[in-house]
Formats: sequence, structure tokens, C-alpha cells
Amino acid sequence: MQSRSDYYIPSGSYWPILGSVGLFAMLGGFAGSLHGSIAGTVAMVLGLGLIIFMVFGWIGQVVHESETGFYNKQVDMSFRMGMGWFIFSEVMFFAAFFGALFYARQLSVPWLAGEGNNFWTGELLWPEFKSIWPLIQMPDASNFTVPKGIITAWELPAINTLLLLTSGATLTWAHWALMNKNRNQLIAGLILTIVLGITFLGLQIEEYFLAYTQLDLKLSSGIYGSTFFMLTGFHGFHVTLGVIMLTIILMRCIRGHFNMDRHFGFEGVAWYWHFVDVVWLGLFVVVYWL
Amino acid sequence: MEFKHLIIILFFIFIIYSLGSALYYMMKDQGGSKRMVKALTMRIGISILLFVVIIFSFWMGWIKPTGVA
Repeated sequence: MQSRSDYYIPSGSYWPILGSVGLFAMLGGFAGSLHGSIAGTVAMVLGLGLIIFMVFGWIGQVVHESETGFYNKQVDMSFRMGMGWFIFSEVMFFAAFFGALFYARQLSVPWLAGEGNNFWTGELLWPEFKSIWPLIQMPDASNFTVPKGIITAWELPAINTLLLLTSGATLTWAHWALMNKNRNQLIAGLILTIVLGITFLGLQIEEYFLAYTQLDLKLSSGIYGSTFFMLTGFHGFHVTLGVIMLTIILMRCIRGHFNMDRHFGFEGVAWYWHFVDVVWLGLFVVVYWL
Repeated sequence: MEFKHLIIILFFIFIIYSLGSALYYMMKDQGGSKRMVKALTMRIGISILLFVVIIFSFWMGWIKPTGVA
């Protein structure tokens, strides 16, 4: 395949402005829908549709350009740099959420119960309050949904951990197949990974359903509910994105894209999946066990 | 710090190190070597081992999950 040796300058593209309009409509609409506006909900859905259209359209164009030999090593490197910065933002994103959990659990909730140099805070505000995590007995529960219990770690969460870890193994199996030029094993490994990822998402929905209907554990269940759903929910979004990306990579593998030396698309998505897997392992340990 | 915390932190240091080195090899080798896939194999291996250790420790009664006290 012929590559251009000079620096690749992309021609004008309407995808970025389409993405910006979609994001603005989705987030502005979401804010409106929180206030009960129907127009806001409509804008949110339309914005989401526009983003999905943009993602598939843009990826399709990049794949086409890549396969028709538009890209040289320099472009490949700029993709890798882009991936590096994306990963950096993802690490900071989850660090902030884990940080919020740590702050609430180790610092602010114990302070409310009078720990550290906050003896009088505890005495004057809620003298009866004891700091116990998970925070089910809130100092003042009048504005919150009090949960009857929490999700038990060795049931659904343990099965989900097993599913995600197995998907990490099948993806690695596929990765080795790519390096050893075994396309059938590559495709089989990717299909298994996608199926495991979708099963994980299904069980996660089941877990949320149980939490909401049987345990009264909701987003409004104080700081425990908020951090629980924020961390596991955003992780779920990441798995969803990972499944979509893996499906695109699978389609490309079936069409015969990628070889032993040129497979950045595969590497980027594989690394992302491993990252999401590690985040889950962290969640499993920190949220359910420690 | 409890012993179980130390063990888990040690595991995570190894996991994050292997994941991080896979990222480094992805950037550095540009698809031209097997170092990335080897690092990721290490990553998944250690992760599975951690999961087995947690479930085994629970089964032996050494650790308990977060529960409603």
C-alpha cells in the first residue's frame, strides 16, 4: 500500500462542528429535562442522535482514509499521541470520582461524627450520629431515600468481575492471534469479548434494577448512593463505548483490515478495554470489599 | 494499615505498572513489536490472580465484604 511521505494535512471537514452542535444540544437539553422541559428532552435525544451519527461518520471516514493509503507513519504517531492524551483525561476523570469517594468516606463523613479536630461539629450538629460506611444511617435523612441495604459483593458484582476479567483474557487471546497472523482466532476472540461485555452490561442493569426496586438504593440515597451510582454508572458508559468500539474493530477484522505491523485501531481499543477492566477491578475492591 | 490493604495495593502497583508499560510500548513501538501484547498478558494475568486471591480469602473467612453494620 502506497503511503504519502509528506506531512498529511486533512481537508476541511464538517464533523467537528456537527459534534459540537450535538454535544451542546444534548447537554443543554439534559439540563432542560432536569427542570421538566419536554423541549429539553427532545433536544437531548436529537443531540445524542447527532453525536452517534457524527461518531460513525467520522470513524468511517478515518477508516476509509487509512485503508486507501492516505496515512503515513507521522499520522500514525499523531493518532497515538491523541490516544495518549485521551487516556490521560480518562485517568483524571476516574481519579476525580475515586477521589470524591475517598473524601466522603475517609474524611468528611467521619468529621461530621466528630473525628479529627471536629469534636464540636459532631456535638453541635448531630450528637447521635455515628460514622459508619456504607452510610445508611444518615445524620439527617429527611431529603434522601434511606436504603434498606446494599448490593452484596460475592453475588452479581463478583460474577460481573469474572465476566470482565474473562473478556480481558479473550481480548488478549485475540491480540496474540493478530500478532501471529491467525485471523480466525482474532475474530473469535473479539466476538467472545463483545458477548462478555454485553453480558456484563445486562447484569449491571439487573443490579441497578434490584437496587432501585428491592433495596431502595438510589442516586438520591445520600453520599453512598451518589458515589455508588456515579462510579459504577460512568464505568458502565465506558463499557458501552468499549463494546461499540470493539464491534467496529470486529467488522474491520472481518473485512480483512489490519495486519501484524499496521493495527493501531486495534491496539487503541484493546488498551482502552484493559483500562476499563482495571477501573472495574478497582471499583470491585474499593466499593464492594474494602 | 491492615495486611489485606497492603496486599491489594501491591497487586494494583503491578497491574498499573503492566498497563502503563503497555501504553508506553504502544506509543514507542508503533505496532512493530510484541512488547505491548506481552505487557497486557501480564496485566490480565495479575488481575485474575488478584480476583482468585480475594474470592479465596473470602471463602477462608479472612476478609468480609462491605456490609451494613
